[in-house]
Amino acid sequence: MKIEQCSFRYEGKFSLLNGESIEGFELVYETYGELNAEKNNAVLVCHAFSGSHHAAGVDPTTDKPGWWHEFIGPGKAIDTDKYFVVSPNNLGSCYGSTGPLTVNNVTGKPYGSSFPALDVYDWVASQDLLRENLGVKAWEMVLGGSLGGMQALEWSISFSGKIKKAGIIAATALVSSQNIALNQVAREIIRKDIAFENGDYLLANKKPKDGLKVARMLGHITYLSETNFKNRFGRKLQDAENKIDENIDFEVENYLRYQGEKFSEYFDANSYILLTKVMDTFNPAARFNNNIVEALKNCIAKLLILSFDDDWLFPTQYSKELHLAAIKAGVHSSFIELSGQHGHDSFLFTSDDYTSAISNFLNHA
Amino acid sequence: MHKNIEREILNLISSGAKVLDLGSGDGALLAKLAEKNIEGHGVEIDSKRLIVSLSKGVSVTQKDIDRGLSEFNNLGFDFVVMANSIQCLRRPHEALNNIFEIANECAVTIPNFGFWKIRLKLLKGVMPVSKSLPAKWYETKNIHLCTIKDFEELCFEKKITIKKKFYFNENYMPLNSVLISRANLFAAEAVYHLEKQ
Repeated sequence: MKIEQCSFRYEGKFSLLNGESIEGFELVYETYGELNAEKNNAVLVCHAFSGSHHAAGVDPTTDKPGWWHEFIGPGKAIDTDKYFVVSPNNLGSCYGSTGPLTVNNVTGKPYGSSFPALDVYDWVASQDLLRENLGVKAWEMVLGGSLGGMQALEWSISFSGKIKKAGIIAATALVSSQNIALNQVAREIIRKDIAFENGDYLLANKKPKDGLKVARMLGHITYLSETNFKNRFGRKLQDAENKIDENIDFEVENYLRYQGEKFSEYFDANSYILLTKVMDTFNPAARFNNNIVEALKNCIAKLLILSFDDDWLFPTQYSKELHLAAIKAGVHSSFIELSGQHGHDSFLFTSDDYTSAISNFLNHA
Repeated sequence: MHKNIEREILNLISSGAKVLDLGSGDGALLAKLAEKNIEGHGVEIDSKRLIVSLSKGVSVTQKDIDRGLSEFNNLGFDFVVMANSIQCLRRPHEALNNIFEIANECAVTIPNFGFWKIRLKLLKGVMPVSKSLPAKWYETKNIHLCTIKDFEELCFEKKITIKKKFYFNENYMPLNSVLISRANLFAAEAVYHLEKQ
């Protein structure tokens, strides 16, 4: 599989949905497979909240496989012998695309907490500029899970003519107040970290690692299911030699602490706050009197809406409601609930049903 | 679904219709409708079959028909198909009511439990296994089997007009004119074109 690590620089003024703007931006992205001569085999893969553009293949420097490695490749659900897959890192994130870590040319300092609030629409608009730059008339398919699925939905509504199919997986048209509440706790934990310095920790040469760590621990609980925790950890006690510290009794505690610790090393706190806000405020129907059916009347793409039965963060009901709105709007839409083993995170793991659903839809819809 | 039954159903559907297929299985009928440029949508409970449907390019909803169908009301469907499904439902009579909230016309197919070979099996004291009813009693999804007489009585009670009916023998050939009057004994399958009075 041909893998390329690329960067797209947009020099013009980029207006955001909230009226603000940024002076140009950079999107880092990876591509898998090759764009054909007709440029009609391009598939856009959108990452979830804390994901990156490294979706497939094995990163040569870190040795890490991409987050959808099992789905993208020769002979896989998204077959790179046939399709050219593009995976960008979103604006506001911290893996190389323009975001809070980027130096603001006007002030000469990193944006930090002053990075403007973003909407999923802005991500999609920036991805659309990348599409144009690649010379792709329309994506054969745009897909992703969770916040990635929300981007696929935004594409279907706001840039419908530029995509043929969308895969909206473990996603929703509107997050619930429970989702917002959980994100709010995470944001508060980060803000209360003494090293956060009101978001200006970069200038103070600090990093609010403790806040990030606990926020991630909370997030991680919501990404899995009760059954998953039960099967993996049960009430097993942590063995002494691998204990992170003496306060730990159970294996699940050690696991969460380890996950949080690891995450706090590489993720940026301002990005965390910014991206959770993007999730909370996502409302593609806002420009259509909050009527999702009206919004979807713009959609000429075919939709595949998938949910997982053990996802309690974005439960099946959200996907069903979105699908029914699509049907009401006259959209060619299919909805299937799949059996999951990893709660909300099930969208990251292959199963025969899951991969067949994606490849059948991609190849035949 | 056998080709001959599929053909009769397709003949009932006019070219401009929008069709809801209840119990759409692997999407074969929907694919045929699409070939004829007829807009269709499928409802099916089984995810494996739904996934196969996706390979036919058709659109489907995962749903248990017994849980109601009101979300499909007023969506402009002209015709509902319920082929080889009604006997699997917990509340088939309610499904019939629901169908006519969705569209004015429908096609329903049933395996006829009054077919003479089935009666013979029962006379011998065993549950029937036949082409139309291939599963053993402990494996069957069919929980509400009926005879042609039963079904036509239900339509009468519910004031549902049987516009057309087609009876098939066990080889899916139309019953000859001599046997039609004794369809409840000689038909293995029946296809109904129903309309609300």
